[in-house]
Amino acid sequence: MNVAIMKTKAEQALSEQFERVAAKLPGGAAVAEARREAIGKFTALGLPSRRVEEWKYTDLRNVLKEPLAVGVEDEAKLTVADLIVALGPLAHLDSVRITFVNGRHRRDLSNLDGAEGIEVASLGATLTSAQDKVGSALARTTGPENDAVLALNTAYMTDGAVVRVGDGVTLGKPLLIVNLRAGAEGRFVATRNVISVGKGASATIVEAYVGLPGSTAEGQHNAATELSAGDNAKVTHVKIAADSGKATHLSNWMVGLGAETDYRGFQLTQGTGLARNQIFATYHGEGAKLDVSGLFLGRASEHIDTTLVVDHAVPHCQSRELFKGVLDGEARGIFQGKVIVRPDAQKSDGKQMAQALMLSPDCEFSSKPELEIYADDVVCGHGSTAAELDNDLLFYLRARGIPLAEARSMLIESFAGEALDRIEHEGVREVAAEFARGWLAKLGK
Amino acid sequence: MAAVQETIEQVKKIDVDQYKYGFETAIESVKAPKGLDESTVRYISARKNEPEWMLEWRLAAFERWKAMVEPTWAKVSYPKIDFQDLYYYSAPKSTEGPKSLDEIDPKLLETYKKLGIPLKEQEILAGVQSSRVAVDAVFDSVSVVTTFKAELKKAGVIFCSISEALREHPELVKKYLGSVVPQSDNFYAALNAAVFSDGSFVYIPPNTRCPMELSTYFRINEKNTGQFERTLIIADKGSYVSYLEGCTAPSRDENQLHAAVVELIAHDDAEIKYSTVQNWYPGDKDGKGGIYNFVTKRGDCRGRNSKISWTQVETGSAITWKYPSCILRGDNSRGEFYSIAVSNGHQQVDSGTKMIHLGKNTSSRIISKGIAAGFSQNTYRGLVSAHRKATGARNFTACDSLLIGDKCGAHTVPYIEAKNSSAHFEHEATTSKISDDMLFYCRQRGLSEEEAVALVVNGFVRDVLQQLPMEFLAETQKLIGISLEGSVG
Repeated sequence: MNVAIMKTKAEQALSEQFERVAAKLPGGAAVAEARREAIGKFTALGLPSRRVEEWKYTDLRNVLKEPLAVGVEDEAKLTVADLIVALGPLAHLDSVRITFVNGRHRRDLSNLDGAEGIEVASLGATLTSAQDKVGSALARTTGPENDAVLALNTAYMTDGAVVRVGDGVTLGKPLLIVNLRAGAEGRFVATRNVISVGKGASATIVEAYVGLPGSTAEGQHNAATELSAGDNAKVTHVKIAADSGKATHLSNWMVGLGAETDYRGFQLTQGTGLARNQIFATYHGEGAKLDVSGLFLGRASEHIDTTLVVDHAVPHCQSRELFKGVLDGEARGIFQGKVIVRPDAQKSDGKQMAQALMLSPDCEFSSKPELEIYADDVVCGHGSTAAELDNDLLFYLRARGIPLAEARSMLIESFAGEALDRIEHEGVREVAAEFARGWLAKLGK
Repeated sequence: MAAVQETIEQVKKIDVDQYKYGFETAIESVKAPKGLDESTVRYISARKNEPEWMLEWRLAAFERWKAMVEPTWAKVSYPKIDFQDLYYYSAPKSTEGPKSLDEIDPKLLETYKKLGIPLKEQEILAGVQSSRVAVDAVFDSVSVVTTFKAELKKAGVIFCSISEALREHPELVKKYLGSVVPQSDNFYAALNAAVFSDGSFVYIPPNTRCPMELSTYFRINEKNTGQFERTLIIADKGSYVSYLEGCTAPSRDENQLHAAVVELIAHDDAEIKYSTVQNWYPGDKDGKGGIYNFVTKRGDCRGRNSKISWTQVETGSAITWKYPSCILRGDNSRGEFYSIAVSNGHQQVDSGTKMIHLGKNTSSRIISKGIAAGFSQNTYRGLVSAHRKATGARNFTACDSLLIGDKCGAHTVPYIEAKNSSAHFEHEATTSKISDDMLFYCRQRGLSEEEAVALVVNGFVRDVLQQLPMEFLAETQKLIGISLEGSVG
């Protein structure tokens, strides 16, 4: 269609606010230039709509109607006690922590004691102080060229964690990157983490996106993480997005894997009004193994979309994906998973599974598992299922004297548990399970 | 497996360059002027003495088509088609309608002979109750031979060309034409609606089991002629019909466009089984020439307990763009899709199905087997959706791809949309190459490499082959063998 598409209010606001806040965004001339270019790209693209095949099931143009002010210089008064409340089960995780509130680094809420062999810095500070070369490297992404959400991230990113794990370093404790939403007003916040894990290093990194109880439920978080793992590195990378049911969470992971790396990614999404989790993983060296899995829990009119692309660019790599969703109310779950095997990427081995448990008659699950294969000596497969709770299983449990409600929750828990088991780090797995249990406990109430 | 040896012999005789059905018959024909505008549509309609409403219908489609753009979402690439550089109508001159086979242009009969349509044999076979096939042969665009009419008439079955149906049974055509694939459905369906030349029409009256398998051979013959067939099959309450469609086309340098539309309607308790063997010219070994096959096929399970089953074997065409679909509207209705898509050389296949569950307790099954060899690209693209009110919808999908050679591609793009919690959808897909172990096992037992591949491939597609009517089975096994020629070693 050649019809010029009208800009929505939100699109206009996102484009126009740039001039107003540009001067306040961190970074030198090169970064400013990259930001300008990105906002130009966004203005040309607009918010993704159904017309964009990758966004077929998540029409941001339609959903993000109300423009929010871009958050640049938010001062929120917070104490460590507040943070602990907001973190919930995560507070019990023995970790080193860097904290961002409304997209700004908070040294007072961070605790990097015991983080040896790694450098953790604030992206905002790094962009301000670094030379142009470093700045523009941080502003670059390896994500898709024409992704409007990623362009917005580049244009507006205020802060985030810059992490460097040295070669051969083994991180004793997980690194927790906390993103907290606080205050009375909903904001558009963009953050970016840039993580590099050195050769032979081993690290567990947890990203958390949570809201402070009592603050506004509104908000849009545009998060991006660039992670590169050196040869023989072992990385566990977990994201927990747990919110109170209204806020928008747009996330992009760009993961690059060196030879013989072992990468395990996991995403838990619950309580987000609208979530779009994009994961782009590319192999750069042979013999790497990847496992990207997740659990999404949706109720009411929540909308959770997971879109992932695994690119077998080199031979002899293995990929595994398992995504499970529990949907209640009028929730919509979406899974789009694409596995690409490039020409000559022989001996690629890919397996993908997406499963949804539909608890109410009005929920929806759409899935699009895709294979794009250009090499012949490969083993690739995918599966997708959608169904309600198995009546036979319920009957079995009830026949053994277990009340219906309990039987249901046992089955749901075991369904979700299969995904959670993909988290290798025991402490992190426990925390994720605790979040999920909290969500499940509220089912039917 | 006897067929394997036959396949090997076929392969020996024929290579990609020497397409078996690549010949051209010089028969005089009447053509519409080149190009497409309103007058072309009027010309076609006038030539066929169509009623006024039909012309209006075509013109409405043409209006819609003008505003549409060619779809680009399929994973195929080809030079842009100049729609003004095609002939939209061509009919063999002897349109008087021969009364028997003797009256037919001997050259035409020769063509059929080369094609292997045993028309004469069919007459002899007519005495044999078990295996009768009625052939409504479409030579280019006009049906010139229709056999078995009398017998079908006795059963009350209407099996004729769609132009004849327009004359004899306008009320039926008017009622059903475009009710499954509307004029504006998609770019090629709209084009077809505007300029379709002919096709088959089948009506099975209530509670009737069609006494024989119905079959049509489509053939593209005249140079630069787009072939726009329109098939309409209606199975009334409690009836059953099995319809076979087979295709071959002469070898040519220029690409030819084929944009057919097939509409199936199944009323209460009716069943339609539609089988296709498509073996059009795939282009030479450099990918030059070959047919563009852009087809819209859709079945509407309109009644309760109705069933529509698609079986397709796609071995030909340079580009295939085809998604036989089922709309499961009636409660308890069932849709099936069985497909074998073989691509070799520079062929591009983007095919699959749509199962749209609307009624209660509807079920569907999709078995798709893609085999890619040479430089070909083979894509499965499908949709399974359950409407909010489609309680108890069930689907099982299995799409497997086999890769032979490291220059080809196999892709799977399924869409699964469950809007009802009682829906039970299962989808699985695998892609792999022929197992070395299997080949080794076969070779160890004295089979040559080609024989071993043919054996493994025939095993791979077995689930689908079993769905084919007997008449097609042997032919299909040969076809698969021929199509994969040169893919080993």
